[in-house]
Amino acid sequence: MLEAPVQGEGAGIDTRDAAFVLVEMIEALSAVRTIEDVASVVRIAARTVSHADGVTFVLRDGDCCYYLDELAIGPLWKGRRFPLVQCISGWAMLNGETVVIPDIYADPRIPLDLYRPTFVRSLVMTPVRPGDPVAAIGAYWARRREPTDDEVAKLQIIARATATAIANVQAYASLSESLERRQLLMRELDHRCKNTLAAVQSIADQTLRRSASPAEFVESFNGRIGALSRAHELLTRGAWGPAGLAEVVGQALTPFCAVAGLRISVSGPDLGLTPEAAVAMHMTLHELAVNATKYGALSIEGGSLDVAWKLDCDEAPTELEFQWVERGGPPVGEPRRRGFGSRLIETGVARELGGQGQMIFDPEGLQFRLRAPLSSRISRP
Amino acid sequence: MTAVRVILVEDEPLVAMMMEDLLTDLGCEIAASFGALEAALAWLAAQETPPDGALLDVNLGGGETVFPLAQRLREQGVPFAFATGYSTLPSGDYPEAPLLRKPVSHEALRPLVAAFKAAA
Repeated sequence: MLEAPVQGEGAGIDTRDAAFVLVEMIEALSAVRTIEDVASVVRIAARTVSHADGVTFVLRDGDCCYYLDELAIGPLWKGRRFPLVQCISGWAMLNGETVVIPDIYADPRIPLDLYRPTFVRSLVMTPVRPGDPVAAIGAYWARRREPTDDEVAKLQIIARATATAIANVQAYASLSESLERRQLLMRELDHRCKNTLAAVQSIADQTLRRSASPAEFVESFNGRIGALSRAHELLTRGAWGPAGLAEVVGQALTPFCAVAGLRISVSGPDLGLTPEAAVAMHMTLHELAVNATKYGALSIEGGSLDVAWKLDCDEAPTELEFQWVERGGPPVGEPRRRGFGSRLIETGVARELGGQGQMIFDPEGLQFRLRAPLSSRISRP
Repeated sequence: MTAVRVILVEDEPLVAMMMEDLLTDLGCEIAASFGALEAALAWLAAQETPPDGALLDVNLGGGETVFPLAQRLREQGVPFAFATGYSTLPSGDYPEAPLLRKPVSHEALRPLVAAFKAAA
C-alpha cells in the first residue's frame, strides 16, 4: 500500500492549525473570478484540513459530473466526465448528502472498475450547496479508515464556502457580460439615433419639396414624424429584435382605426421583420393609410380596407404576397403627380425587402401589391 | 456635358430617397439605387459601362455590410464614398474612400460629386 504524505504531525503539505487554513481559504476565495481558480484554492485547503491522500473538485454538468481538478498522491480522474448515476460524486449531488465510505470494497455504490487503478481505499464526498448541488468535493485515503466527525465537518465548511465562491464567480461573469452588452447597446443606440435623425432630415426635406403651404408642411411632417415615432415604439418594445408583421400592420393602422376600425380587416400568417424592414413597412403603411383617409376608401362612409398577406411557396425562395385593397371609396384615377407618399409606398419597403411594390389605381379602389422573397430581413418566426 | 452617373446603396428607404434628391440636385443622374447588397452586385456585374461614382451605406441591416461591393468598385476603378451612422468604420480597409457621417448634408456631398465629375 502507498504511504500518504499528509498524515498529521510532521507530514508534507501543511500542518498549520485548520482554522487558520480555512480562514486563509475564505480570504483567497473572496478574490477569485473563475471556477478553475475556485477549484485550485479549494483542493489545497481541503487536502490540508482533512489530511487526505487526495482530493477532487467535481462540477455538475447536466446529467454528468466533471472532475475539474485534483490534488493527490496518485492520479485520480481529473478532466474526465461520468454520468451522475455512475459515481459517488453524482450520488452525493443527486441526494444532497455527504457520503462517508470507510472501505470502497464494502460499498455497492462504488464503481470498482474506476477505483481499482487508483490508490483510493476510503473516502468522504460532500456536495456543494446541498439544496441544489452544483459541485462536490471528495477526500480520499489510501487505507481503510473511518473519517472523524471533525474531518467531515471541516469538509462541509469548505463546501459551504465553495458554494458562496461559485455564486460570486457566476455573479461576476454575469456582470461582465452585462457591461459588455451595455457597451454594445450604447454603440447601437448611437447608430440608431443617427439613422433616425437622417430619416427625420429626409422627411423634412421631402415634405418641404412637395408642400404647397407652411400649414400643409406642418400637417404632413407631424404625421410622418408621428409614424416614425410609433414604429420606434414598437421596436423598443421588442428590444430592437425582430418585429412581427401583424404587429407592424396593427401599430401603423391604430391611429386610423379610431374612426374606421370596423371597416378595416387585417389577416395573414405571422412573419418576423428586421427593425429596418419594420420601420420601412410601418412608414409605407402610414402613407397608404393617410392617403386612404384623405382621398380613398376611409374618406367616406361605407368604404372598406382589406389588408392581407400570404406566402407563395411555389417560388424558390418562398415569396411574401402582400396586398392592400380599398373598396367603396370615391372613384380612383391616376394621380396628377407622384409625391413623397407614393414614392415611399412603391419603393420604400420593396427595396428594403428586395422585392417589387406596385400601386394600382383601380377605379373601384386603390390597391398596393408587394411581392418579396423571404430572406434574413423577412422570415418565418 | 453629360450628368455624372451615380449609384446609391442605402437600406433605409427614407434616407435613400433624400440622398437621391440631394445627388440629383447636385447634377447627378441616379443610375441605380439599392437597399440590399445582392441586387447591387448583380446590377454592377451586368453593366457594360460602370457608373462614375457610388455612395455606399456601410451597414445594410440583417448583419450585411457593403464591403463586397466596395471591393468590386475598386477593381473597376469606380470612385466611391461611405456613409455611416457609426462614428468609426466598423471594418474594411478603404483609405481612398471618403467617410460621410449621417445625416449627410448638401455641403458634404458637393465635393464628393465634384470628385466623381473630375474622375469621370
